[in-house]
Amino acid sequence: MRKFLIVVLTFVVILSFAKVTIRVISSDDFAAFRREAIKEFEKLYPDIKVELISVGYNQLYQKIVTTLAVDPGAFDVIDVDCIWTPEFVEMGLLEQIDDRLTEDMKKNILPSVMRILQYKGKTYGLPMFDDVLFFYYNEDLLKKAGILRPPATWDEFVVFSQILQEKGLVKYGSIWGWAQAEGLICYYTMLLSSFGGRFFDENGEPVFNQGGGLKALQWMVDAIYKYKVVDPASINSDDRAMLHALANGDVAFGFNWSFAWTIFNDPEQSTQVGKIKVALVPSGKPGIVSNTSSGSMGLAITRGSKHKDAAWKFIAFLANRKQQKKQSIKYGAMPIWEDLYHDEEILKYHPEFEAMLKQLYYVTDRPSLVRYTEFSRILQIYIQKALTRQMTPKEALDAAVKEVKKLLGK
Amino acid sequence: MVKKDASRWIMILPATIIIAMALFYPVISTVVISFQDRSLFMPHLSRFVGINNYKNILSSQEFWSALKVTIYFTVISVFAEFVIGLFTAILLNQNFKMKTFLRALVILPWAIPTVANGVLWQWIFDANYGALNGLLYQLGIIKDYVNWLGSPFLALNMVIIADVWKNCWFFTIVLLGALQTIPKSYFEAAEVDGAGFWSRLFKVTLPLLRPAIAVSLVLRTSEAFKVFDIIYIMTKGGPANGTQVLSYYVYHKSFEAMKLGEGAAISTIIAVVILAAAIFYTKILMREEVEINA
Repeated sequence: MRKFLIVVLTFVVILSFAKVTIRVISSDDFAAFRREAIKEFEKLYPDIKVELISVGYNQLYQKIVTTLAVDPGAFDVIDVDCIWTPEFVEMGLLEQIDDRLTEDMKKNILPSVMRILQYKGKTYGLPMFDDVLFFYYNEDLLKKAGILRPPATWDEFVVFSQILQEKGLVKYGSIWGWAQAEGLICYYTMLLSSFGGRFFDENGEPVFNQGGGLKALQWMVDAIYKYKVVDPASINSDDRAMLHALANGDVAFGFNWSFAWTIFNDPEQSTQVGKIKVALVPSGKPGIVSNTSSGSMGLAITRGSKHKDAAWKFIAFLANRKQQKKQSIKYGAMPIWEDLYHDEEILKYHPEFEAMLKQLYYVTDRPSLVRYTEFSRILQIYIQKALTRQMTPKEALDAAVKEVKKLLGK
Repeated sequence: MVKKDASRWIMILPATIIIAMALFYPVISTVVISFQDRSLFMPHLSRFVGINNYKNILSSQEFWSALKVTIYFTVISVFAEFVIGLFTAILLNQNFKMKTFLRALVILPWAIPTVANGVLWQWIFDANYGALNGLLYQLGIIKDYVNWLGSPFLALNMVIIADVWKNCWFFTIVLLGALQTIPKSYFEAAEVDGAGFWSRLFKVTLPLLRPAIAVSLVLRTSEAFKVFDIIYIMTKGGPANGTQVLSYYVYHKSFEAMKLGEGAAISTIIAVVILAAAIFYTKILMREEVEINA
């Protein structure tokens, strides 16, 4: 009996000192920052070990969905893109965290970012950064062409690109990530909104085949084939692959997320360190200053997690002001705390912070739909049919609208 | 007697169980799922829906386009691989210096993982930094860089080139092995009778290689028909679904649209097509004893 008690006691002791391991899956865009933060976190909480699995954005969705379908507790923390929230909640993947939020979080995290992990009035995670597609331009190349400021409209964008091309400074003014992937929908959303269009009307009917939606796609096709200012390789580059050309000085303009900032200014990946600046995304319609697509992501606890408290500690740690500040200064991200936007240190060390901040006032979200992934795929295929000139923009978008109506049961 | 019988059954039991688990269970359960409306999440809620999945699939334009792409991919790539493989095998069967070294060398591309091969060719075909554009441009063959993976039909053919480069050596290896078993005297006799290279090829070599050709064709055809990895790496089915093959469509249906039932239905269709192709090949290529009609 005594022996038995000793064995039991030893087990209890071992268990109580045992480390909890939480498994985190996240997109690799800010992987360097997260790895650094994990080291600090593990020092602060020696009883929690964090295992980070970072995958490319385009693999993230499948990896999360297929893994959790087999084992709901396989990941404790998952990286959720704003467009996945409704679907993930409906599938029962996410743990509600309203009770865990502090007063400070509720009051001082920007509501526009907090929203990305909210669904039907409940909160399912914390955003990690406030991200939109930013307009990056190579100031050095523009100066060499005698152009004094970045383009403010899409017409200027075309003319400036042509000047740069005629002077032999670049082969194409810009390259985009229009490959058949989610990035294409972000670019399309940006153009659609800057041409004054919208995806759905008040009654939820898809209307992107008219007005700004149609103009946006027409512009994309014309920019490649008529004006010849967009590299045709945009059709098969995604929003990660197109970064090389900008970082190499081969094109003057590009649109990308905040993480791109680090790549442009990393001497190992870029020949244009310090030359790439941020400006407002050009406008396509008088009365619209600018518009872009949002793309914030956040971390959430899975419902199947066995270590929810440890998982929450980790999420809250990455969201705290100190880490958010570091993520901004060293890695270019826009913070989630309202007060950090007046932080002198960030303003001092992040040279494009103010330019990026201006863009945050002109943002459009992609549609929030439970069947978003299927919606997105229909749109990707038909936009690509127009970009490869198998269909005219009007034909392509009409067909897409028809299929979206069928998908949504209209 | 009875005892002997029982021990016979016991002996084959382990193998039977393993085969049943690894082979029959997945096949049968795929067929079963193809008649259900099962989704990736909440599989317990699935119901029997008869042939609905098949109806949906066969009436969707995307399926027929994927089928066309798959057939084109299979026919062109397997034919090209077979022809290149056959002639390299004949070449390597000759007596010359470095023969062993070259024979070892042809295994290399075939041994490269498909994923690595896909990335390799993706860079070779890159519109701005690719080696192919660089080469053709410097030789003056093209005036402007070509975006090889940028238009649907061209992209499909470029993926086929990448696949042929890797897989034609499979034919070389199998056919070379078979060629070595053919006695040299056959060729010498044909030569004495005045047969040239082509008539020796069609009247002696090919008939004798028939079983090896049948086996390798069946294997490569079924592999090509199921192709997924190189497409996933190089084009992700794009542009505009121009390179979406059936397996990629299965992947999309099952793991992106999460309709496991429809995914299983397409898989079953693929399996039936491959089975038909295998029967066809064996019927034509293995139906009779090999005889040389010189």
